[in-house]
Amino acid sequence: MTSKIINMAERIKDAEDRLLESMFESAPIADNGFGTRVVKRVRRRLWLQRLALPVAAIIGGAVAIKPMADLVTVVANLSFSVTSVVPEELVTATTGLIPQAPFVVLGAMLLAACLLGLRAIED
Amino acid sequence: MRHSEDHQLVARIVTDQDTAAFGELVRRHQSQVRNFLRKLTGDIALADDLSQDCFMHAWDKIRGFTGRGSFIGWLLKIAYTTFLQSKRKSKRYAEILDEVGHVAVAESRSYTVQADEVTDLDKLLAVLTEEERAIMVMSYACGLSHREISEATAMPVGSVKSVIFRGKEKIRTSFDIKDHQHG
Repeated sequence: MTSKIINMAERIKDAEDRLLESMFESAPIADNGFGTRVVKRVRRRLWLQRLALPVAAIIGGAVAIKPMADLVTVVANLSFSVTSVVPEELVTATTGLIPQAPFVVLGAMLLAACLLGLRAIED
Repeated sequence: MRHSEDHQLVARIVTDQDTAAFGELVRRHQSQVRNFLRKLTGDIALADDLSQDCFMHAWDKIRGFTGRGSFIGWLLKIAYTTFLQSKRKSKRYAEILDEVGHVAVAESRSYTVQADEVTDLDKLLAVLTEEERAIMVMSYACGLSHREISEATAMPVGSVKSVIFRGKEKIRTSFDIKDHQHG
């Protein structure tokens, strides 16, 4: 008797659940370009993330130009004062090894351009 | 079969950042996510905006999908979180407006339908609280199991069951279900 009541209760519950399912049911929503819009946003974000490092390098390079030029000047002046103590050949060889500001900036720009080009090709 | 296809697409996204695979996942699940959010918000435009945000969050967090449950379950968890965040933001916005003397629109529990025609479902959803609405929609519209709903809402399975029970009680008392069934 008890099991009959339980079975009946479950049947009633099931019927109610089915009814609720039918009430909550709604027609599928057509994509209508929704997926394309989301993917576009994702690609834009990816592109921005990839661009962030080269842009940061360029900005950092631009900010560093002045101090770097000053540093090169100081090192060059120092090398002239050193020539009195150290043989001149040794000093000129050492200063030749220190990269000059225009070369550093050019190198950074080339690197950034290469990275951007690679990203563009990849995309 | 569908689950394993979803998992393969997720694997492609994780390993190659494959946007085409993500696009396929969006196309597969956009209807359920948008339907879920439309039922929660009662506002088609807002629901679609939140759906876009939800998929963007899904892209960001895709590595967090362990593959233990269904992808749609995981996605609806993000959708629900996105919805709650948006509610918090709009509540904060209303508070700020209040502070500066504007009359804010109270919307903490309201479910306002934007469409011209109010359906039976709209009436039914209007009697439920936000939490009950979310859980009932997950259960009856999206077909999630109690366990999946528990994971999506970060609630114990027992609480999910009692919320569903409470929701059904409210619907039973507010509507003549038998009349609806036959007419």
